[in-house]
Amino acid sequence: MRVDLIDKEPSGPIQAVWEGARAIAAGFALTLKHLFRKPITEEYPEFKRPLPSRTRARIVLTRDPDGGERCVACYLCSAVCPVSCISMQSAEREDGRRYAAWFRINFARCIYCGLCEEACPTSSIQLTPMFETCERDILKLVYEKEDLLVNHGGKDPDYNFYKHAGVVTAIGGKGEHAGEDQPVNVRSNMP
Amino acid sequence: MPKLIIDDREIEVATGTKVIEAAAQLGISIPRFCYHPALGSVGACRVCAVKVLEGPAKGIQMSCMLEAVDGMQVSTADREAVEFRRYVIEWLMMNHPHDCPVCDEGGHCLLQDMTVSGGHGLRRFPGKKRTYPDQDLGPLVQHEMNRCIHCYRCARFYQQFCGYRDLGVLGIGNRTYFGRTAGGRLESPFSGNLSDICPTGVFTDKPSRFIGRRWDYQRTPTVCIHCSLGCHAVTSVRYRQVARQEARMSAAVNGWFLCDRGRYGFFYASRADRPRQAAIKGETAGMEEALAHARSRLEALAPAAVAVIGSPRSSTEVLALTERAARLRGWRGPAFFADVGAALKVKAAVSRLEAGLAVSLGEIDQADFILIVGADPINEAPMLALALRQAAQKGAGVWVVDPRPVSLPFEFAHIPTAPKALGAVLGRLLRKSIEPAGLDGPAARFHASLPGDPASGPELPARAAELLAASRRPIIVCGTGIVAAEWVELAADAALLLRAAQKKAGLFYVLAEANAFAAGLLTQLDSTTDRVLKAAAEGDIQALVLVENDPFATFPDRRLLEQALARIELLIVLDYLDTPASRRAHVFLPTQTLYESGGIFINQEGRVQYSAAAFAGGTPVRETGGRDHPPRVYGSGLPGAAPQPAGQLVARLAGEEIPIDIRAQREYFSEQASRLAGLPDTERLPPDGLRLALRNISAERFKSMLPPVPAAESDDIEIILTERTFGTEELSTYSACLETLEDETFAGVSRQDAEALGIRDGDRIAIRTENGAVELAARVCDNMAAGAMMIPRLRRLPWQTLGKSIRRRDIRKA
Ligand code: SF4
Ligand code: SF4
Ligand code: SF4
Ligand code: SF4
Ligand code: FES
Repeated sequence: MRVDLIDKEPSGPIQAVWEGARAIAAGFALTLKHLFRKPITEEYPEFKRPLPSRTRARIVLTRDPDGGERCVACYLCSAVCPVSCISMQSAEREDGRRYAAWFRINFARCIYCGLCEEACPTSSIQLTPMFETCERDILKLVYEKEDLLVNHGGKDPDYNFYKHAGVVTAIGGKGEHAGEDQPVNVRSNMP
Repeated sequence: MPKLIIDDREIEVATGTKVIEAAAQLGISIPRFCYHPALGSVGACRVCAVKVLEGPAKGIQMSCMLEAVDGMQVSTADREAVEFRRYVIEWLMMNHPHDCPVCDEGGHCLLQDMTVSGGHGLRRFPGKKRTYPDQDLGPLVQHEMNRCIHCYRCARFYQQFCGYRDLGVLGIGNRTYFGRTAGGRLESPFSGNLSDICPTGVFTDKPSRFIGRRWDYQRTPTVCIHCSLGCHAVTSVRYRQVARQEARMSAAVNGWFLCDRGRYGFFYASRADRPRQAAIKGETAGMEEALAHARSRLEALAPAAVAVIGSPRSSTEVLALTERAARLRGWRGPAFFADVGAALKVKAAVSRLEAGLAVSLGEIDQADFILIVGADPINEAPMLALALRQAAQKGAGVWVVDPRPVSLPFEFAHIPTAPKALGAVLGRLLRKSIEPAGLDGPAARFHASLPGDPASGPELPARAAELLAASRRPIIVCGTGIVAAEWVELAADAALLLRAAQKKAGLFYVLAEANAFAAGLLTQLDSTTDRVLKAAAEGDIQALVLVENDPFATFPDRRLLEQALARIELLIVLDYLDTPASRRAHVFLPTQTLYESGGIFINQEGRVQYSAAAFAGGTPVRETGGRDHPPRVYGSGLPGAAPQPAGQLVARLAGEEIPIDIRAQREYFSEQASRLAGLPDTERLPPDGLRLALRNISAERFKSMLPPVPAAESDDIEIILTERTFGTEELSTYSACLETLEDETFAGVSRQDAEALGIRDGDRIAIRTENGAVELAARVCDNMAAGAMMIPRLRRLPWQTLGKSIRRRDIRKA
């Protein structure tokens, strides 16, 4: 290659001027050609490009197929979050269901890494393609549970954690969850 | 001493050491579920498998069952052992519910750790999961039996270690169940330890349910202040709320466990009604304003018209600074004890605890004979009962000389003795069991002065004297609640006499409150609460300063208290509790709890221990957010952080500006409190604390007053005010979860008295006093001394109106 280049090196001033003019003309020709082509740029926000559903942006808390809040406030997402922008308080409903009394994400801090979604054992917390969250007042980027809850199951519409866990809630008692036997009879003497 | 090789490293261990412990000494942690240092090994879980390469039985062995022998070679990382352990975990997980996200053990779960570290991820077994019904076990322990891995730790702890029978193992085979025969509150006052000891989430801590995960807690080593033993704890704080307390291992004090009073007594610190604002005449005021107001009003009075009352629930720093403030200003006090009797007893105990004689709680299980005089361990210092049980399990005879129907979770002998005769019984027992020959000068003279068995009256059980005579390491446990100061001294001399008789005798006092020892060091006998209140009632005192003391809860004479409070013109209360006294204060100054300020407490054996500050204080987020999300306001200050350490406040009340910096404060403190000077810096205190080296007290040996023969029986019934495990210790009465565990109000009477009075068990009786009648249920006790009535100091019972004794005709059936 290098040897090649050396071979083609301009040999005199006339040659150099000729080469320069040729390059300029080629550039203008290309520009002119594109001037009359259909543009491929999409104007944002006039046009919003559909993003893949796995794009990582604005986070939501989803619901299970029965409409119940999925989040059981297990604290795993807040533990895994590398910038500690999730905080919550767990509590118990009348029927024994564990849930988040409050749940807060500070989107001013979130780096949309998706680790929370990966950690979530209930498919509750999910990142969505919704990335337009700019605000002038930074406090408006602090989202509470009401702001985060959506009424669908997101990318995992069918899962209901409480149908699989062993704890007693309105969803099911002992032995009524997926893959469970009836509770043992402790008083039985049968072998 | 066998020498063995574990994972290519050699170690020499004591004979009898198990391989799992030997590995631990090398820093190798072999997985375990059923093994626990306090409970020993049973080989139930099979997860501690190692491969023995060289030794008596080669191949896979359970390291917790395997005794280390000379020349043994063990591998923990051998492929076969690793595989074996992996399979064991997989089997254990076969029936395990899909609970981790909603399980309160998650985050500090041994099973979780082992499963993850063992590499088991997917359940391969296609069958159904076994399930169990759960039980309601009362307010402290949550039950979720599906998560059990059948390690038997709970049953062994509950039954073998603690001696309670209401929880254990039921069923067989696949139905093996850990619980009670029927649901209901757990009877053991040590039940909270189940949450610590269960390696899974079957038993979890109910009051802290869902508050947070272990990794979110601010965890601090603290010292329990709910009795005088000073057990070690770990306190967890989350979002400015003290959330949970667990046992912290301490070989010298509590071992691995904690009683439920200590574990759950902390709720006063984060109560919603905790006063966090200063107040002048009930109106909220700024701290500086209230302080200035209090100071100016105090300055307007003659120093002799001001009295200070402190309490043994305060830290040593607070006690010392209170004492200094009073001394500098010439105020009366501080009074730390209700009356001279109480102060004398503690002073006697403090002065008689010689370094060689005092035994720690951790040393109790080495005794072979224990004599308990005037103490009710399970109610006054619950962890003492657990230590006594360990001694009894090892064969020690335990004898209790006490008027009350003492109950302990093991076999012991009880000599019901009237309070007045406690000393005489102790003296007679000593005289009977020790041969005078071989005793030297003072010991021989002391022995000769002891009373023999009286001509008439009941004989002492000969067995007690025999056992004491035969013992090698006897321990005298002496209470300070119902005994007289003389008997406290006598107990020390008794231990000395046993020493003189060539026994390795020990002495163990039980004091009334957490820091009674320090209060005893600092108190003056001429200022006690009753004297101060009397002076106030007579008009000699115009201002009372109560430093972390609520006389409505602690002082035994309500009438005098009311008279005094009605007469004085200024009541200043410094406290962190919402008490009747703080509600009546003219000036109220909020103080910090131990969890916020940290502080030194000295336990009943003179062990100086530092309880570190767990957090900076402030109203819990739970309150500021009204249980919803925290307020969306951001500032630099903490809400509700007005309270200051009581010591600092009392010094400022006295017109001093004391350093705010902690280190400077500590220097200042050790400079000022000369009687406590020489305490090392808290950072240099060893983990197990430091036993105070008290001055040489040889001059006081064998000087105790001889027990006089009990005076001719008056016909009156003596009132014995007693502690209960729950409901009488002041701070823990602020824990809502302990409320339902409190005893019913009752009056304990001996069968003999009950028959004479015509009362049957369960009858309602009315006791007429100068202050009106008190009605309560009678509890007729067989093992109780006649001539006495036992009244628990429960809040619901106006015990402060009963006085010291009552005439028989004032007791009637209601
Ligand atoms: S996406 Fe990442 S940074 Fe954002 S909340 Fe989740 S874990 Fe935290
Ligand atoms: S990981 Fe999922 S279930 Fe757990 S707290 Fe976060 S959102 Fe809720
Ligand atoms: S006991 Fe441990 S492994 Fe089982 S559900 Fe609870 S946290 Fe998970
Ligand atoms: S309940 Fe807990 S401690 Fe008891 S056997 Fe089961 S796993 Fe072990
Ligand atoms: S720890 Fe050894 S068998 Fe369980």
